[in-house]
Amino acid sequence: MNIFEDYDAISQCNKCGFCQEACPVFRSTGHESGVARGRLALMRGIIEDRVQWTKELEDPLFNCLGCGACTASCLADVPTADLVIKGRAEYLEKVGRKPIHKLLFEQLLPYPKRLHMAARAAAFGKNSGMSKVAKALGLLRILGRDFAKAENIVEKLPPVPFRGLVKPGEYPGTGDTLRIGYFIGCGVDVIQQEAGQESLKILKKIGKTVTVLDNCCCGLPAWTYGDIDAAQKLALKNLEAFSSQSFDVIVTDCSSCASFLKKYPKVFQGDEKNQDLAQAQTPLFQDMVEFIFKNGYSTPTGKSPIVVTFHDPCHAVRGQGISRENREILKNIQGVEFREMPEADWCCGGAGSYALTHYDLSMKVLDRKMKNVESTEADFLVTSCPACMIQLSHGIRRAGLNTKVCHISEIVTGAKPKG
Amino acid sequence: MVNENFIRELEKIVGKSNVSVTNTGIELYSYDASLVKGNPGVVVFPANTQEVSQLVKAANKEGIDIVPRGFGTNLSGGTISITHGLVICLSRFNKILGIHPESRYAVVQPGVTNLEVQQALAKVGAFYAPDPASQKVATLGGNAGENSGGPLCLKYGVTSNHILGMEIVMADGEILRIGGPALDPPGFDLRGLMVGSEGAMAITTELTLRTLPKTQSVITMLAVYDDIQAAALSVSKIISAGILPNTLEMMDALVIEAVEASISCGYPLDAAAVLIIEVEGMIVGLKEQAEQIKEICMTNQCRDIKIAKNQEERNLLWKGRKGAFGAIARLAPNYLVNDATVPRTSLPKALEQIKIIAQKYECRVGNVFHAGDGNMHPLLLFDSRNEGELEQVHKAGWDIMKACVDLGGTISGEHGIGREKQEAMKMIFSGDDLNTQQTVKFAFDPENILNPNKVIPLSKSPGRPLESFEPTILKRLGGASCKGVVQAMAAIKNAKDAGKSVIVVGADTFSHYGNICKQDVTPVSTLSMTDIIEYDSDNQFITLGAGMSLHGLQEILGKNNQWLPLRPPFFGNKASMGSLVAMGISGPERMFYGAPRDFLLGLQYIDSQGRIISTGGKVVKNVAGYDMTRLLTGSNGSLGIITEATWRLLTRPELCKALSMTGNLDDCFGAVLELMNANLFPAFVTAVPVNNIPEDNGTDQFPKLWKMVVGFEGMANVVEHQVEQCSLLLGKHKLKELETWDYPLIDGCFKDIFNKIAMAPYTLKLATATGKMLDLINVINSIDGIKAQARMSDWLLDFGCGRIFSALDSLDKDQWASLTHGAISLDGHVHLEKAPDDFRREQDVFGGVLRPEWAMMHKIKKALDPHSLFAPGRMPGKKEYEV
Repeated sequence: MNIFEDYDAISQCNKCGFCQEACPVFRSTGHESGVARGRLALMRGIIEDRVQWTKELEDPLFNCLGCGACTASCLADVPTADLVIKGRAEYLEKVGRKPIHKLLFEQLLPYPKRLHMAARAAAFGKNSGMSKVAKALGLLRILGRDFAKAENIVEKLPPVPFRGLVKPGEYPGTGDTLRIGYFIGCGVDVIQQEAGQESLKILKKIGKTVTVLDNCCCGLPAWTYGDIDAAQKLALKNLEAFSSQSFDVIVTDCSSCASFLKKYPKVFQGDEKNQDLAQAQTPLFQDMVEFIFKNGYSTPTGKSPIVVTFHDPCHAVRGQGISRENREILKNIQGVEFREMPEADWCCGGAGSYALTHYDLSMKVLDRKMKNVESTEADFLVTSCPACMIQLSHGIRRAGLNTKVCHISEIVTGAKPKG
Repeated sequence: MVNENFIRELEKIVGKSNVSVTNTGIELYSYDASLVKGNPGVVVFPANTQEVSQLVKAANKEGIDIVPRGFGTNLSGGTISITHGLVICLSRFNKILGIHPESRYAVVQPGVTNLEVQQALAKVGAFYAPDPASQKVATLGGNAGENSGGPLCLKYGVTSNHILGMEIVMADGEILRIGGPALDPPGFDLRGLMVGSEGAMAITTELTLRTLPKTQSVITMLAVYDDIQAAALSVSKIISAGILPNTLEMMDALVIEAVEASISCGYPLDAAAVLIIEVEGMIVGLKEQAEQIKEICMTNQCRDIKIAKNQEERNLLWKGRKGAFGAIARLAPNYLVNDATVPRTSLPKALEQIKIIAQKYECRVGNVFHAGDGNMHPLLLFDSRNEGELEQVHKAGWDIMKACVDLGGTISGEHGIGREKQEAMKMIFSGDDLNTQQTVKFAFDPENILNPNKVIPLSKSPGRPLESFEPTILKRLGGASCKGVVQAMAAIKNAKDAGKSVIVVGADTFSHYGNICKQDVTPVSTLSMTDIIEYDSDNQFITLGAGMSLHGLQEILGKNNQWLPLRPPFFGNKASMGSLVAMGISGPERMFYGAPRDFLLGLQYIDSQGRIISTGGKVVKNVAGYDMTRLLTGSNGSLGIITEATWRLLTRPELCKALSMTGNLDDCFGAVLELMNANLFPAFVTAVPVNNIPEDNGTDQFPKLWKMVVGFEGMANVVEHQVEQCSLLLGKHKLKELETWDYPLIDGCFKDIFNKIAMAPYTLKLATATGKMLDLINVINSIDGIKAQARMSDWLLDFGCGRIFSALDSLDKDQWASLTHGAISLDGHVHLEKAPDDFRREQDVFGGVLRPEWAMMHKIKKALDPHSLFAPGRMPGKKEYEV
């Protein structure tokens, strides 16, 4: 991996600064190291030999949320989030990677069961300081990043993983033809199991068969960290597993996973064989939101009317261009009043491997989000990414709001509000 | 040089985490949005004004240069440290401190972006007029430093017209407040000078912005042309017809093609140019305006003009314009955007020149620009990785500036001079002009540590003034060749040789003005300077000698249905234009039209060395150099003798109509507060006492009953509609006895009352924010001896401008000090427009309490007029600062 290959793309930045308005990190820090223009300037500085590969680059390269908002407001359309990932990859080569990343990407993420056990172990050991495992999981946002401060991030850790409750394998549905693969993201598997149950209900109602997949991590955390090798390994493991069965569609209720699954061909750039394998399966992947929208599933609540607002996960709105569908779904449910919040498509600050060191920054971004949520006076803050849900729930508690966070599947099936 | 000790010093002030010295930290602050680069020695992020002051003091001690910076979107290299100095980044100054729509102002920190303040104002139905294209990311501190423009400036004027005051940190670390919500404080217009000073005079740490109520509705049109010249012609025809659209934006064929390729918003691909025209205002009259524009375009070879039917269509039209830079940006890695400006009618020629220049240097060029004010934006495409290409576009940019200046324009309309256009300053200014500007900078910054070596071209021998030369391109008319100028120069020389001071006498209307000093003064007459040097009615400006009377000028302009929309109080028919510049005064219509400072485009004056110095130019958008025009305006002749001035003109309104209604002061005030932020645009909002008060109305002798007088000027149907709406609004506040009448355009509504007020021995002017007018009245009533006079006096409560004009029979030292203190406590100020000689000799008519900013004014005076040749006694703070 060498950023010199992207010299053209990096040079396309004209330094107009329009990315500053869009970047949640810059809006919190006001520092040039936390915005696309600055990151691109440094990468250009490296190529043109003004800047050296040193630890000084860690912050500018790794405090990017990867939300892609800069590119959306970039006149020249520079894909900074992608370029930053390449910068991270070269940084890991040149400056070095940390052992905990190896632990996470090579030992835990490829094996869902190990991942869950590790999470349990870390959760029980919560007060005994920061174990290596807890740190690694922090990177995944499962236990939060600054472990000492982040105890609140996870309210409760279920004793059994989702695939402990619902064994991987084929289940009959009530639909006529559709054979569905249900991709279980790490977030649903380890924490957001209620959301998973509701998603499964929807899939079963529409599909002829629903197969709960025995997949591993999609690879996004490794990719955003810049560990391209690890990301490829995880992706390949999944692709091989999918291709052994036959599906009409593979659905996931995590927008982050969905966006990355769709990106698999890009992950194998330069590796023709695996790229073809990825290309063949890409058309199958669907975000749960797309799936619901296309198949028109909705259950009237029949209960007292509720007010909902929607938080756009970065990987839905910019990663997949999904922003109309989720709102249409919510607006069409009887008894649901939809209220748009300001800056709904702003990152919540959860963001990928937003790492142990960025807790404070991440909280600044989150607090801004909470102000916007509060202004809607919504009963439910709905989203479509379990990772965002963890971060948003934490924000709700911090801000002392009465709003409840839930997955769009839970609203669609009428599981929320309860009673 | 920045060294370890200095860095430790900085860390003590702002904390270690707010100091950036690493290799990457430096690289990140080595650029802005221009093509200039330079590594700072260290970057700091202070949290408050005190820290800025301490940083400046620390830098001073070590002799380290300072560059203030916001979000670094400058387009002329203004935020780059070219001497490896200290960059003070104000990104943490990001709070909006107060919004006061009823007084039409807001207070913000300089790190707030233009868009953030717009969003906050929109919530209360107000807006801030300057809207640079970079408003999403450009900070207000930068806007003020560069005197930014934007599409809306066509109608509302540039940043300079919308900054009321600021808090600044001076080059020695002193913290100073200049201006504020109260309009036009006595003495030099320091805030006018600060705006556009590109961070070279002081560091701004707080800004008071003038805000306006948001208009009701908007019509957006797209006009398509087969010939770019015809499009340019339509632009000047629309404006000379007296229509002031809020935007008049043009795009040429290359831009249309690029936009359509990336966005597709319905611009015809075979067109040579399109115009986006938008009018805004009351619903009434807007359609007629749009129809009128349509007609003008169609008679000027417009192929087709379509009006956006709904918000969606409007958005689509703007999407193309706003995405135009982007669309062009995709064609090449970099572009150089030039912002030279020409008089509107020269647009066709300028476009032709740009085309030829681009061909000569073999670079592709796209034009997308503010056609309404002649502000070109040719985008020259290149790849900065290729040294050769960079050099070519720089040359092309240079030639474009030359061509535009040759057409009577200027080198920069809104982006600033900074580092990039420094040498081009010689195209439009003489060596003397530039040395004078530099002298003013050094008055603020004697050690030259604030953003040094920018704006003014560098002299061949460092530390010495520039040699004498004439502007290399601009041929300025007038000057010494005009009637009366040579005589005045000789008179000044004689006085100087005789060790006397001079005082300008025009029509001798204002001999009672200012304080009386001991110096022996010789009068110098400007009355013979009556030349009309250039009157360009199409481009709506006039350059004329200082001896011409305002009355005479209005008559000349009337022949073309134009006028200078100023009705200065106490101005007789003979009072000269020179005195209008010198005094900078304005009547109650200031809230709608502005003051002389808002209409002056350029000046020439004789300085203390007897030389002719030029300032500004003749185009509306002009940010070349420090704003000497604003400095001279209102300086009461104390910096030189103004020989000629260039004024911006307007088309005469169809109708001027006033209404009056009567009620008690509280009800009037309630109505004022609503009216100030209502969807109505009065030319003035005033009240005068109803004079039939019984003598024995108890202890409160202040007039009980007041008559509110509100005026509207403009298109007849719009005026009629507003008068009606306004009467309903006043009625809601229990005001009664509606009367309406048409009033004369030139004399306005208040000539008689001003004349009456001027008859008393003392003519008092007090100013504050509109929302504090009642408090100010209470101040007056709380002072013994003044209250007693109040009942019998003549009054004019100029609510719209937050001012009180009043006549007094007597005023002693203590009363004067109390009045001054009272006004200051309300962010205001006082001024005696007229006082008896004894008072003028003993006291200070500019205020009974010394103000810190007056010291700065005297530093400027000392630098420009070291022997106090001009107008002794006409500056505030005579006793303390004058010889």
